[in-house]
Amino acid sequence: MSLRNNDRQWGSISKFFHWIIALAILGNGTFGLLMDLAGSPMRKINWLALHKSIGLTVLALILLRIVWRAFDRRPPDEPMPRWQALAAHAMHGVLYVVIVAIPLSGWWFNSVTGKPLQWFKQFNLPALGEKNDALRHFAHGVHEYLFWFLVLLLLAHVGGALKHHVFDNDNVLRRMLPFGRLRQNPPEGDRR
Amino acid sequence: MKRLAILLLALALPGLAAATNYTVQSASSTLGFSNTFQGETFQGRFEQWTASISYDPANLAASKFDVTVQPASVKTGDSDRDSALPGQAFFDVAKFPQAHFVTTGFRQNGNQVIADGKLTLRGVTRPVSLQVNFTPQGSGATLDVAGSVQRLDFGVGSGEYADTSVIGAEVKITAHLQLAAK
Repeated sequence: MSLRNNDRQWGSISKFFHWIIALAILGNGTFGLLMDLAGSPMRKINWLALHKSIGLTVLALILLRIVWRAFDRRPPDEPMPRWQALAAHAMHGVLYVVIVAIPLSGWWFNSVTGKPLQWFKQFNLPALGEKNDALRHFAHGVHEYLFWFLVLLLLAHVGGALKHHVFDNDNVLRRMLPFGRLRQNPPEGDRR
Repeated sequence: MKRLAILLLALALPGLAAATNYTVQSASSTLGFSNTFQGETFQGRFEQWTASISYDPANLAASKFDVTVQPASVKTGDSDRDSALPGQAFFDVAKFPQAHFVTTGFRQNGNQVIADGKLTLRGVTRPVSLQVNFTPQGSGATLDVAGSVQRLDFGVGSGEYADTSVIGAEVKITAHLQLAAK
């Protein structure tokens, strides 16, 4: 498996970005929703600090991923009806936007609450706006509902991948799986 | 007659030796501190405090600061923090409604005057030294003091709040007092 994408599958750099970001988003999203279970205020402070640090890491990774995506040619689409390919590409575009927007909205939420923003106790990042108590509730809502929106997108994204894997017997899922092996006899027209 | 003169002199000497007593103009005076939280410096101030200041730069031996602070009046610009600080883990104002600083002596360190004293905070008394900058202005003066304390010496932010990688260990204390002669 090469680092770069090739004609048939995603390279290991693209796969790494895809799966590490997927894991981090699901983990950090769940973590964020469970924040109120912290119990003590200091534990909540520490949990929030960890949540913010992971979120900032996701933001950095997704930006790097977009840069990499711009420089590395993507594998051509597996054979599928044109509407499916268009829908999948639109979905990917929206996913990128939402994955960037969630940590940014968290950063903004943090800014309107006037709290510090520190990355794993290593360095601090500036606020994206003035402290504003009136926006606190709204900003929190934006941050949380963006995540729920992402969950909906994710269901469609995963559903599409599984549909291709199970019903179409193509390599849509396999070519993104870590250490995934491509089907030896792809359906007619898969090769370009 | 000679006895009377000695008596008068004896009465006058402490008067001559006394430092000026000042009244603090509270509207233009501040007593505050700064610390770090998650790598960011924040400023705090106390809204309720009183100070009795006697000071004479030429007679440090007769000078004295006596300051009483209501820690419950702390304001730091963050409502979460302001509601936490009076609590049991920090100032514990229910048990220790007042903090108190009184000087035990003044000394000259080069050009800098240092006030040595005892700070009682959260029931713990520790020596604290403050740099003193006194500037006479007309009949009054401005007095700026600065020093620092280790918050854990006083048990401020005990238990899980003791983590100094989140809440800084050293708290800088500053006060700016506008003084009017009594």
